[in-house]
Amino acid sequence: MSSSANVQATTPTKIKKVNPGELMIQWADGHETHHLAPVLRGMCPCASCKDEMTGIRIVLPIHIPDDLGFRKIELVGQYALQFEWSDGHRTGIYSFEYLRELCPCAECKRKTNAG
Amino acid sequence: MAFWNKEDKDGPVNEEQVLGVLKKVQDPDLRKDIVSLGFIRNLKIDKGLVAFDLNLTTPACPVKDQMRDEAVSLVKALPGVHNVEIKMTSEVRQTPQLDKGALKGVRNIVAVGSGKGGVGKSTIAVNIAAALAAAGARVGLLDGDIYGPTTPIMLGLDLPPKSVGNRMIPQESAGLKFMSMGLLVKSEQPLIWRGPMAHKALQQCLFDVDWGELDYLMVDLPPGTGDVHLTLAQAVPLTGAVIVSTPQDVGLRISMKTLRMFQQTRVPILGIVENMSYYICPHCNARDHIFGQGGGSRAAEQLGIPFLGEVPLDLAIRTQSDIGVPIVVAQPDAPSARTLRQIAEKVAAQVSIRTYEAPVLEVE
Repeated sequence: MSSSANVQATTPTKIKKVNPGELMIQWADGHETHHLAPVLRGMCPCASCKDEMTGIRIVLPIHIPDDLGFRKIELVGQYALQFEWSDGHRTGIYSFEYLRELCPCAECKRKTNAG
Repeated sequence: MAFWNKEDKDGPVNEEQVLGVLKKVQDPDLRKDIVSLGFIRNLKIDKGLVAFDLNLTTPACPVKDQMRDEAVSLVKALPGVHNVEIKMTSEVRQTPQLDKGALKGVRNIVAVGSGKGGVGKSTIAVNIAAALAAAGARVGLLDGDIYGPTTPIMLGLDLPPKSVGNRMIPQESAGLKFMSMGLLVKSEQPLIWRGPMAHKALQQCLFDVDWGELDYLMVDLPPGTGDVHLTLAQAVPLTGAVIVSTPQDVGLRISMKTLRMFQQTRVPILGIVENMSYYICPHCNARDHIFGQGGGSRAAEQLGIPFLGEVPLDLAIRTQSDIGVPIVVAQPDAPSARTLRQIAEKVAAQVSIRTYEAPVLEVE
């Protein structure tokens, strides 16, 4: 992927909470991502959810309720999103690159597996 | 054209014709014609007199005169036009998302950074800010160098800011609204703070200060990449960053780190300013490139970012900084002041390009 295509793929043009537990992101390359709150919460990159040294996850899917939702969605500068979840957690900063990387659609998953 | 056509006062020119020829005038920075850009306002035609406002995206536009002259000569060449009156106005656009937060009166926030200390970053920041203000823009300067603030000296300010309620009122000097951590602590006291305190202090200086309406808020960063940089990149959508470097390779290589950090946090790089580019001998006026030549422009070219200019090592810049009146204000016609003003204009042009091209992000 060329660097400009990469920038397009990781630049959001629209971010919308479609329901309390689902976030939609439209990207500049035309792709659309739907993130489910419990899944995204399980991938929280902050130091209290993922060990800084070992990278081992501290907060596991089993710790996350199925009905977890987004309480607040905030832009961080112009490179990331920060969520406040309905369980009160709010320290994870998800870069746009990370949010695109985590896109759960079949097409993106195939690319990730192939790559 | 026949002589009698020009004399035909009632063969009136119409709006369509005027806009038609004005479409030939391009804004070289935004790469579009001035009609499509919506720069033409209040067009009035009264027989042979054509009058309109040319509303640019910055009062510090580097090609302001060129565009006006082009517009005048094109409209004057139309049959039936005897006189053209153009009023130059400007309206600085706002960086997307900035309108939503606590700084909604601020149109653009520009960081000034460098890889290492002592490259003259604060001198450049103060002079760019003062030059923009002198051009007619509403400008604020935040000295974010909490560990070694020098800008209060350069602006001749040493009193702490007043506050009303829990809001601080920025001080004014050289036509700028100014705030510094240097004004909150006694000047002889060194500041030894841990990261979280630096973070909090910067947030206070951004959000607890009555900046009011500003076209440009310049933030003078501490050298390197640290807490203040990250806090700034996370707290506000920056329009962009200006990198200051000396011509020496070492200086540039370290600036590269600062540059990468801005790229990672998606802060657009508005360009590189090379400081201490050459020394002008006060006795014989000879130029000496004591730190080497062309390092800044080469790096800018390699990285595909704009090169904003070279500032000489000039005794007058230093003395003006020491007495608290920036050279662009005290000696606006001095060669170094001209150079600094051109750099400020290039920064303003880059800001206009960024705000024009910036993708709009909807958050619902």
